[in-house]
Amino acid sequence: MSRAVAGRRARAARRQARAARRQARAARRQARAALSPQAVTALQAALAAEQAASYGYGVVGAHLNASSVQSRSADADWVAHQQARDSLTAMITTAGAAPVPAPVAYQLPVHVQTPAEARSLAVILEEKVAQAYLGLVALPEHSLRAIGTRELTASALRAAAWRHSTVAFPGLPGQGGKSAAGS
Amino acid sequence: MAAGPTRRAVLVASAPEAVIASGLTRRAVLTGAATAVPVLISGCRGVEVLGTPPPPAPDVRLLRATIVAEQQLISRYHAVLAGPAKDAAAAQRLAALLTEHEQHLAQLRKRLVVPAGSAQSLAPAATPAVRTPPDLAGALATLSAAEQAAAQRLATGLLTVPPSLAQLLASISASEATHVPVLDQLRRTA
Repeated sequence: MSRAVAGRRARAARRQARAARRQARAARRQARAALSPQAVTALQAALAAEQAASYGYGVVGAHLNASSVQSRSADADWVAHQQARDSLTAMITTAGAAPVPAPVAYQLPVHVQTPAEARSLAVILEEKVAQAYLGLVALPEHSLRAIGTRELTASALRAAAWRHSTVAFPGLPGQGGKSAAGS
Repeated sequence: MAAGPTRRAVLVASAPEAVIASGLTRRAVLTGAATAVPVLISGCRGVEVLGTPPPPAPDVRLLRATIVAEQQLISRYHAVLAGPAKDAAAAQRLAALLTEHEQHLAQLRKRLVVPAGSAQSLAPAATPAVRTPPDLAGALATLSAAEQAAAQRLATGLLTVPPSLAQLLASISASEATHVPVLDQLRRTA
């Protein structure tokens, strides 16, 4: 290979690399511009709910019999909320905003000492999460609506498992005490 | 959830009229009256004069299709409760699921406003008769599949409708998805 050909190839490679960097920058700018302030607010609300759930499930798990099926469910749900929290954090960061950090402590809505109280807490945590994801469903962005719907359903399924019953309108405020299909 | 100076956030159960993240209340979401614009079947008074009414908007079509789907699900439940689930232990839980579908239907109907004199009425659509398997396990499997399909249709359809209707449909979709494990569990013990 002549020196001239090698030089041309090196220059072409540098041009390609520059073009790729330009494209990546444009994609990042677009990702930022694609999210409205309302979308970021809704994502922050969902993040706050997932942070609270990640904290709360630690309490739930601590009050269940360690070898029980319920304890394994609590562990699985805990992991799901941590993953959702991390995913929301990444989405907010990609949008160019700063994810609001989790508080260092929470005042729990119920006093948890027994497995039954732990299950009640899990239901309340899921209701909060479901409400927050319903905020994503109100956004115009299809992708965020789809995520909101998917996570709302996942939360409703977890809540129904803890509650041993279903509700007609998961995520809508005021569903807490009402239940049907109880066991 | 704003953290105070002590960095302790309050995690309490919501009041019945709590404002959800989007700023809509349960009442607004459920009635569709206060903040949401009800869906009009044909909004224009002069349409009859012009002859053929315009085709309904996508959200009207989706709302009507969702109402028909809920009616079909309700028919399925009635058929199972009158047939294979009659006297079965599962009847009570099936009746509870049926009640939730009736609640869904009531909320969906509130969203569909039919102008006086409109050619398109809200009369229950002539839904094809659903066949129920004679055995309880088969009937429960059919119900489960119907719930799953209905939830999936809503999850896809809600992407293109106004926000408040999308929230109602998402909630109904999630509710129907939670019926699936209940039905599957009943089937295993049937």
